[in-house]
Amino acid sequence: MRRRGRVPWLSYLLVGAGAVVTVVPFLDMLLTSFKGPGEYGRLPYRFLPEAFDLSNYREAFVRLNLPLLFRNSVVATAVITGSVLLTSSLAGYALAKLRFPGRDLIFRLVLATMMFPPFVFFIPHFLILVHWPLAGGNGPLGDGGAGLTVSIAALVMPFLVSGFGIFLMRQFIVSVPDEMLEAARIDGAGEFTVWWRIVVPQTRPVAVTLALLTFVGAWNEYIWALLVSTANPRLMTLPVGIQTLQSYLDPHRMVPVMMAGLMLSVLPVLLMFLLLQKHYIRGVMLSGLK
Amino acid sequence: MGRAGGRGRGVRAAGERARPAARRARHRCRQTAVAYLFLAPSLAFFAVFLLLPLLFAVLLSLSRWAGFDLADIRPAGVDNFAALFARGSSFLTPVLTNTLLYALGTVALALTGAVLVAHCITRLRFQGFWRTLYFLPIVTTVVAVGNVWKYMYEPGGLVNGVLNALGLRSVAFLQDPATALPSVVVVQAWASLGSAILILTAGLKAVPHSYYEAAELDGAGPFTVFTRITLPLLRPSLLFVCVTQFITGLQSFALIIVMTGEGGPGDATNVAALEMYQRAFKYGDWGSASAAALVLFVLVLVITLAQLWLFRRKGADG
Repeated sequence: MRRRGRVPWLSYLLVGAGAVVTVVPFLDMLLTSFKGPGEYGRLPYRFLPEAFDLSNYREAFVRLNLPLLFRNSVVATAVITGSVLLTSSLAGYALAKLRFPGRDLIFRLVLATMMFPPFVFFIPHFLILVHWPLAGGNGPLGDGGAGLTVSIAALVMPFLVSGFGIFLMRQFIVSVPDEMLEAARIDGAGEFTVWWRIVVPQTRPVAVTLALLTFVGAWNEYIWALLVSTANPRLMTLPVGIQTLQSYLDPHRMVPVMMAGLMLSVLPVLLMFLLLQKHYIRGVMLSGLK
Repeated sequence: MGRAGGRGRGVRAAGERARPAARRARHRCRQTAVAYLFLAPSLAFFAVFLLLPLLFAVLLSLSRWAGFDLADIRPAGVDNFAALFARGSSFLTPVLTNTLLYALGTVALALTGAVLVAHCITRLRFQGFWRTLYFLPIVTTVVAVGNVWKYMYEPGGLVNGVLNALGLRSVAFLQDPATALPSVVVVQAWASLGSAILILTAGLKAVPHSYYEAAELDGAGPFTVFTRITLPLLRPSLLFVCVTQFITGLQSFALIIVMTGEGGPGDATNVAALEMYQRAFKYGDWGSASAAALVLFVLVLVITLAQLWLFRRKGADG
């Protein structure tokens, strides 16, 4: 009883200090984005801007083709999230509730896909998209043109199916009672109807979690988007576009403008995370991957 | 008559038995078809974006190819691998050593920080609030994380500003070969702290409260409780975080691209995945890039299997 009343000062101090170290870079990003021309880089360092100058945001708008960047980011993220949800749910249902030869083998294959590191695939994926037959001026053998790198398909193709998503869905669908599915089948429902009318509504909680994980991952993806947009600048996403800012502005002016651009790219995800953090955190607990 | 009647009964009996069996077989057949229909998009995807690329990567690693015309691929045997490990090649040192140092440094920092913070968080109020704060870097794009820290490390940035305010001299964090790698490691650890804390606090919650009460009754101090109860009972979560973070560390290079561009100064922050990336997409040397990727892949695989083995063994007796 005596102990419960005691305030754990040391713990507060340590957790608080750690929290400051975690949050200060975000604050610095926010505050720097308001700093006037020539203010960044002046010594001694001042955390707060002299006046809250909004011109960096205007500059970011002017320098960047923001409508294009936003469109690419939004379309790619939406397509990837939608596709991962759909394919994971379908495959997860088949693996959890249908009986067919090869099921265990396929499930093991799905688990194995999670073990391969992404960097092994960058080169082959890029070459496959460049040589995609009958796309972007390619012949039937995949030569002669730029393949799928001409279209936004290049941004999304390698991410349309997720082994982790299938695994997550399968684990969740296993717990849907068989009686519910049987009852629907006796009423004459086909497997597709059973999936759509019974399984999909039952799996809404895990679907929200998977959607959030996929959304955040796709929105923040950098290396693949960088690669694809090096081949075709029309495919730049927000993170890639903002990174290009540093190449054509002088440092003192460029840093605040970049921070303004970064704020624009980070805000949607941060807001969504703060609203739905419960689902996201559960996803990370389940995956333990990120 | 008797025989015929008998036969008739026999046929009818067999028919009655056969019909549900046939229905069941037809049902099973239909279920197989439906299942493969449901799996078709995923299986097609894995065939094109997993199986084919793996074969392609192996083929490329054994070839010489600098172009885009598939007809120009020339067999090269193990030349690409031999070149990676040849005397004077920068692949073993500093690139692979950097990769290991990067992963080790990240794990050591993130794990120590996460254990301390997770341990302390459980004694505080508003645990959800704290966890959310520590989680912010994880939902942030690597471009934001990398750039913010890059400019905080600059002579006119926040970190040097703090050092100056304390009366210390500025440090050229990312420009000095001696400090560049540790500087990036700190950021990677900072960014991965949140998920480690999350998994460890979940592990801590599973420790029965009575253990702590018993220790308290016995008069154990907080340090003893931490080393004798918390750490041993947390071992499964610790190992899990350790394994996953180490694998992530071995593979990462996005943060390095953002913070130091090409792994500079010199090769001070160059790691294997970045080396592969540059060989392929900067120099168009697909063959040696694929070889580098496969070497890193095997390294990751071996280390992962070793850690999993350790994980299981420790799990069994712990």
